Amino acid sequence: MVKEYGKWPEFSQVSKEIDWKGAKLIAAGVDVGTTSAQAAILCDGKLFGYANIHAGVDFEKTAKDVIALAMEGSGMAAKDIGIISATGFAKKNVKFASKTFDEIHCHAKGARFMFGPEVRTVVDMGGQTVKAIRLFEWDRVRDFMLNDKCATGSGRNIEVLCAQLHQDITEIGSKSLETEKDPEPVSTTCWAFAGTETLGLFGRPEYRSEKLSEAEIYASHLFAIAWRVIGIIGRLSPLDVGEISVDGGLAFTGGLAKNPGITARIERELGVAAAKSDIDPMLAGAIGAALLSV
Amino acid sequence: MIIAGIDVGVENTKVVIIDDKKVVGCAAVSTGGVERPTQIRKAYEMALSAAGISEKDVGAVIATGRGKFDVDFVSGRVTETIAATFAARFLYPDATSVMSVGADETLAATIGKERLVGEYVANQKCTAALGTFLKFLAKRLGVALEECKPEAKDAGEINEGCVVFSELDALSLINDGAKPEAVMASAINATAIRAATVMNDLTIPKNERPILIGGLAKNAAFVSALEKVLGFKFIIPENPEFCGAIGAAVSGGKVA
Repeated sequence: MVKEYGKWPEFSQVSKEIDWKGAKLIAAGVDVGTTSAQAAILCDGKLFGYANIHAGVDFEKTAKDVIALAMEGSGMAAKDIGIISATGFAKKNVKFASKTFDEIHCHAKGARFMFGPEVRTVVDMGGQTVKAIRLFEWDRVRDFMLNDKCATGSGRNIEVLCAQLHQDITEIGSKSLETEKDPEPVSTTCWAFAGTETLGLFGRPEYRSEKLSEAEIYASHLFAIAWRVIGIIGRLSPLDVGEISVDGGLAFTGGLAKNPGITARIERELGVAAAKSDIDPMLAGAIGAALLSV
Repeated sequence: MIIAGIDVGVENTKVVIIDDKKVVGCAAVSTGGVERPTQIRKAYEMALSAAGISEKDVGAVIATGRGKFDVDFVSGRVTETIAATFAARFLYPDATSVMSVGADETLAATIGKERLVGEYVANQKCTAALGTFLKFLAKRLGVALEECKPEAKDAGEINEGCVVFSELDALSLINDGAKPEAVMASAINATAIRAATVMNDLTIPKNERPILIGGLAKNAAFVSALEKVLGFKFIIPENPEFCGAIGAAVSGGKVA
C-alpha cells in the first residue's frame, strides 16, 4: 500500500459519558464535501459521536458510511436517529436526509457551537471553496463572501502538492513555519500556477545550494493561499469600529484550519488570534447541520 | 560508447542506457519532491543493473526534464524540446514534427531537414499540469486511467480552459449523478482540446509524420481524443514515456 501523503487521516469517536438511550432527541448532521465527508451526532444538543472519511464518487453511500462510523460501537442504529440533515457540496444526493441546509449557515452555527458565542467571523477553508462569514452578535449571519472561481480548490491543491512531493499533509504547515522571515509568495491567482511554481522552486539553483530551504518553499506556497483567503475576509462588510481586533472573534473551520502554515499567517496579517476549540474544525459543517435541524 | 539519458519529470524520472544506438536498459521511478536526488540515483542504478553494466562503463550521462539540474553526475544537459526532437528523429528518421504531453508540460516542435528544431511551442502556464490533472482526477473518481476506452460516452462538456475549473465541473457532474467513467471521458476530451492548442500554435504545421511522446501518449483514450480534435493521426513509439530520456542520450549533450 502506497502511503497517502496528501490526505488527512480518517477518524471517528463516540462519547462514553453521554447516555444516548436517555436522550429526548438525537439529531445527526452530515456534511458531504468534494474531498471528504463528516458526520456529527448530537444528543439533546451535546456532541455524542463524530466521524470524518474521504469522499467517494457515490455521495449517498459516502453519507451513509460516515454516519454509520459516527455511531460505531455505541449500539445506536440509524432508526434511533430522530432527524438527519445534510449540507455540503453533495447535499442534494443525501436522499435519506429529512432536511438540507446551505453551508454558510451550517458553518456559522457549528463555529459558534465549537468556539463560543463571541465568534464574529468564521472562515471555512475546505477542499474546493473558501467561505468567509460575518455574524451579528446575536445568532444571525450578517454577511458572507465566497472565493471567486479562479481561487477554487485551495485545499485540494495542497493535497495534490503533498502527494507529488511525498510530503505528509499533516506536517507541511508546521514545517513552513520553521522560517525566520516569509519569502515572497508564489502565484496568488491560481493554484495551477502556484503548484507549477512551487515544484519549479525545488529545481532552482538556490535550493540546491541551500540558500533556499525546504521550509521556505512551503512557506511561499502556503503564504500564497493564506493571501487569497485574507482577500476574501477583507471583502466582508466590516465589524463595528474597535471590534476588528478582538481576540477569539475569528474562527477557522474546514480542513485547512488544521494547517498552522495557513492559519498562523492569516492571524499574523489580520493581527488577531483565532479562537481555539477541542473539536476538530472539519466537523463544523456537520455539527451546524445537526443543530439547525432541531 | 554507452550513453545514459535521464529525464527527470515532475511525476516520474526515466532513465535509459543506450549502447551503439540500441536501448539496452531502462528504468522509471516516481520523482518525489524533496528526495529527488536519491530517487534519480535509484532509477539510474536500476537502469544500470537492467543493462547489466556498471557505472564506470558509461561514457556520458545526459539529463533533461524539469529536474535536470538535480542530476549532479552528468556530462551534459539538454532542454526538453531538444530531447524530444532528437528522440523523434532517432526513432523515426523521416519524422516531421513531435509533440510531447507529460505530467506538467506540453510541447510541440517541427523538425527541420538540416536544422533539427524548426519551430517550437510550449504550453502556456494556464495549460500546465494536464497529466497530473488526469492522474489525480482518476484517483478521486476511482477510475483506472489506463483502462479508459477511446470513444467512451462522455457526460457532457466540461471546462477546457483551466484544470481548476475542469475539476470543479467534473465533480459537479458526479454530483448530478453522472457515471465516473463518463466524467473521466469528459475530462480526457477537455485535456485533449487544451493539448491541441499547443500543436495548433505552430505557424507552419508539418503533419506528414507527427510523433507523439510523453506519458499521456500511452493513454489510448487521450490519444484518440487528441487525434479527433487535431484531425490527423500520430505515430506513437513503443514506450513513449521513455522518449525524453532516449532523446537526451542520443543527443550526446550536443545541441543541433
